[in-house]
Amino acid sequence: MRDFLDDRPIKLRRDRPAATTSGRLMFVVVGLCLLSGLLILLDRQGWMGVVRTSLQQALVPVARVGTNLRDSATGMTAFLGDAGLRERITQLELENSRLHEELLRYQQAQVENLFLRQQLAIEQKHPWKLLGAEVIVRAPDAGRRVVLLARGAQDGLSSGMAVIGQSPGGPAALVGIVESVNHATAEVLLLTDVSSQISGRVLHGERTSVGLVQGQWQLGSRMRLVQVDRTMPLAPGDPILTAGLTASLGLPLNLATVPPNIPIGTIEQIETIEQYQQAELRPFVDPDQVRYVWVILSQDD
Amino acid sequence: MGDTQPRRLEELLARELLRGLTIVGLGLVQVTLLITPLGFSVPLLLLITVCKVLVSVDSPSPERDILRTLRLALYGGITLDLLSATDLGVHILALLLATLFVMLVTHRLRVEGLFIPLFAMLGASPIYELTLTLASDSRPTDWLIYSRFILLPALFMALIPTLPIYFSLRWLLHRQKEKG
Repeated sequence: MRDFLDDRPIKLRRDRPAATTSGRLMFVVVGLCLLSGLLILLDRQGWMGVVRTSLQQALVPVARVGTNLRDSATGMTAFLGDAGLRERITQLELENSRLHEELLRYQQAQVENLFLRQQLAIEQKHPWKLLGAEVIVRAPDAGRRVVLLARGAQDGLSSGMAVIGQSPGGPAALVGIVESVNHATAEVLLLTDVSSQISGRVLHGERTSVGLVQGQWQLGSRMRLVQVDRTMPLAPGDPILTAGLTASLGLPLNLATVPPNIPIGTIEQIETIEQYQQAELRPFVDPDQVRYVWVILSQDD
Repeated sequence: MGDTQPRRLEELLARELLRGLTIVGLGLVQVTLLITPLGFSVPLLLLITVCKVLVSVDSPSPERDILRTLRLALYGGITLDLLSATDLGVHILALLLATLFVMLVTHRLRVEGLFIPLFAMLGASPIYELTLTLASDSRPTDWLIYSRFILLPALFMALIPTLPIYFSLRWLLHRQKEKG
């Protein structure tokens, strides 16, 4: 009325029933929530395995096309710049990578000789039997660090196998562990995930000590080495390798297939807590950036 | 006269299939093309679901449009579950709870302006991430750290494209209605 007297157009409000909270809609939403809860339960019991595998197989080729598209878009920037310079950089990166690997092997050999352990694998350039695999999908959620590989049980993969990658100029290093395997795909838990834990051996000069490498991505960093004996001298830059403790126990556990002496990363910062030391680690290979990885199927003894 | 019903059913099935395939395509885009260098992904399907609810709330037939959005959450959730190695149903539940939140919050509101889509996403994104975390059995040990390093970055990744997606969807639906 006031609007009318003021000669202003009245802004009509549409009287809308609360359709978004109608009984039918609520029934559908609750029904769908229950359905998804049932699906979760069935999948955890392993009843959805066949459905999941067949649907995944249908999606994987398409996902691979998408990933290749993204990679080629990223790689387009590499065409910019001088060709000769790029060639030189590539050569230097290769040389750097070779020298880095040689240095690591030398350090490992020193430690092994000191403790009179026979590790012929260290003398060999490639002690592992590898299988190359493309990373087709990364987890879309912020809370989990997993990748999906385009290899599965049909290629000989099984849970607990070590997955390595290589950055330009760096050594081949561990990026994760195969968590579960389907017929044509495998899910890899990255080392940086908070639920990832693996025994690691830290090298410092001629001394060595064992600790636990834990993922820290969800806690704001990448990896941390914990439970290292306080008497062990540590310094930034000291390399960490897999200890292969589970394998040495000879128990039928998943991690028994992870061989020792796979490079993991180097120490960045050290702190001492009570009887133990812990250190922030810088991985040799950034697990979040790998596009192509190798699964260690077995190790030559 | 006799074959009218089968033809309609075929048409409905074809439409549903097309809708499903489009959502699967969007899910594939999210997991392959939208991964950022820092490891965070733009939650495209969450964004579309939330914005679609907001557009539906103000449409002439909200119930029908919201039912369509629920189907979007269902198909999108299955796609993400298949592509991200979570148990089947985890992403569906997360998307549905985010949708339910937006439905409940906006049922008495007129969705206008810039702030309601942003506020809706401000609530929906943590619900989505928390559901994913709790339903995946990966409960964080420290909730404060979890909020700083997971919830907040994920929230920013969701908030940035909210307005462009909301206005694009609204424009698209208006255009469809004008044509119809």
